[in-house]
Amino acid sequence: MHFSPSLYLDPGSGSILIQMLVAAALGAGLLIRSQWAKIMQLLGRATPEEDKDSSLDDDFLDE
Amino acid sequence: MNRNQHPASFRDPSGFLFTDEGALYRQVNQQYADEYQRLMESGLYENLSKIGRLVTHQEVDIEPIQPEKAFKIIQPELIPFISYPYEWSFSQLKEAALATLAIQKRALNAEMSLKDASAYNIQFHQGKAILIDTLSFEFYKEGTPWVAYKQFCQHFLAPLALMAKTDIRLSQLLRVYIDGIPLDLASELLPKSTKLNAGLMMHIHMHAKAQVKYADEDVEEKKQNKAISKQSLLGLLENLKNTVKKLDWTPAGTEWGNYYEITNYSDSAFLHKKELISAWVAETKPKEVWDLGANNGVFSRLASEQGVFTVSFDIDPAAVEQNYRQMKSAKETNLLPLVLDLTNPSPALGWHNRERESFTERAPADMVFALALVHHLAISNNLPFQQLADFFSDVGDWLIIEFVPKSDSQVKKLLLSREDIFDEYTLEDFERVFKTRFKIQKKVKINEAERHLFLMEKL
Repeated sequence: MHFSPSLYLDPGSGSILIQMLVAAALGAGLLIRSQWAKIMQLLGRATPEEDKDSSLDDDFLDE
Repeated sequence: MNRNQHPASFRDPSGFLFTDEGALYRQVNQQYADEYQRLMESGLYENLSKIGRLVTHQEVDIEPIQPEKAFKIIQPELIPFISYPYEWSFSQLKEAALATLAIQKRALNAEMSLKDASAYNIQFHQGKAILIDTLSFEFYKEGTPWVAYKQFCQHFLAPLALMAKTDIRLSQLLRVYIDGIPLDLASELLPKSTKLNAGLMMHIHMHAKAQVKYADEDVEEKKQNKAISKQSLLGLLENLKNTVKKLDWTPAGTEWGNYYEITNYSDSAFLHKKELISAWVAETKPKEVWDLGANNGVFSRLASEQGVFTVSFDIDPAAVEQNYRQMKSAKETNLLPLVLDLTNPSPALGWHNRERESFTERAPADMVFALALVHHLAISNNLPFQQLADFFSDVGDWLIIEFVPKSDSQVKKLLLSREDIFDEYTLEDFERVFKTRFKIQKKVKINEAERHLFLMEKL
C-alpha cells in the first residue's frame, strides 16, 4: 500500500475499506443533522444549539 | 558525554527521543521538516498546547545525535511520571481516547492529521490527558482515510468496550497486546448485545470481520474510486466520540459516593494519622511521593495539596476510578491515580523488554507511603519483612510506613480464613528487620489505635 511516503503505520486493508464504508454514511448523517438543525433554527423551532463544530472540543472532556 | 537514543523511540522515521546528561530531547529529522513547520506555523501547536493537550517544547541549540539526518532538536516539557494504559482506570483511558479524537479534529482544521493513535503517546500531565509525541502529525490530503483508525480502535475503543461491557479486568489485555487489543478477540469477548450498539457494531464487530475478509486485498484501486471526504472523516470522528462517550463503568451494586469507607479508624485516630503524615511531608519536602495501596487517595492528597507531585497507586480499579473522578472534579493538578498490583507490578515490555519500563525501573521516588499496607503484603501474600524492607528501599528514599499488629481487627479478618503461621509478625521484628535498610527517624503510636506510624530514611 502506498498512501504517503512518510507512512510508517500499517493501516490495514480491511480497516481502510470498513472506514470508507462507515465514514461515507456517518459523514452524510452529520451533514443532514447540521442542515436540519439550521432549518429548525430558521423556523424558530429550536433554541440555537451549541455550535456543532465545538462538539469535539475540549469542554466535554472535563464534564 | 552520556547520550542515548530512547529505547521506545524507533518506529517513526520523523525523529526520535534521546537523553543527554539526563535531560530529554527530541531530534526532528530533515524528512519531517515540512510537517514540523506546518505544526508550528499553522497555529495548531499553539492551539493544542494552550488547552493543555499537546506537550510544549523549546527549540534548542545542541549537537544532534544523528547530525546527517537532523533538522532541529527540541526539548519537551518534562512529564514527571510516565504511566501506561494498563495502569489507567476506565475513565482515564476514556479521557485519553476523547483527547486523541479532539486533537485529530483540531489537526484536520489545520489540514493535518494524526498518523498514529497510540495510547502510549498519551500521558497524564497536570491532571489532563496530553499528547506527548510532537511528531505525530502528517499533512492531511483531501480524500484520504485516517491511517490511525485501526490503531484507535485497538488502543482505545476495544479495551474501553471490554471494560464497560464484559469485565473491567480486561484492561490487562493491554499488557499482553502492546499494539492494542486485536479486534477479532474483542469482538469475540464482547457480549452479543453490543451488536445492537451501532458504534461498537461498526468499529469493532464489522471492522474485525473486514480485517479477516480483506486481509490481502490491495485497497489502492478501490481508494481511487471512492475517496473519503473531509465531511465523512468528521462524521467518523463524531461517531467514535459518541460511541466512546456512551461507554461507562460503575462497579456492580455500588454508588460512587459511598464506595469506599475508611477502615476501622476512629475519627480521632484518623485525624492523628493525617496530621503526622502532613507534618512529616512538610519536614522532609519530597519532590515526588508514591502512595502505594492508596485506596481512593485520601492520604495521597496530604502530599499533593502541599504541592508535591504524588502518584497514587491501588490494586482496585474501582478505588482508582473514584480517585480519578475526585481529581477531575476538584481540578487537582498534582495527583496521578494509577492501577497497580504490588505483588505483580508492571513488567518491562515490548521490543528487547525496553519499550515500556517496569514499575521498579521508574523508581525511586523521593518518598513512599505504605499506609495500612504491610499486613496485606505480609499476611495475605506471605511476604517476610526482609522482602518488604528490600523492596521499599529499592523504590523510595524516604518511607512513611504504618505497622498494623495482629490484634487489629483488619488483621484478624485476614487471619480468619487461614492458619496463623506468622510468628514473626510483631512490632519488634518489623523494626529489627526494617533497620537493616532504613534509619528510623520517627515512631509514633496513633491515638486510639493499636497501630504505629514510622518515618524512615534509607541507609
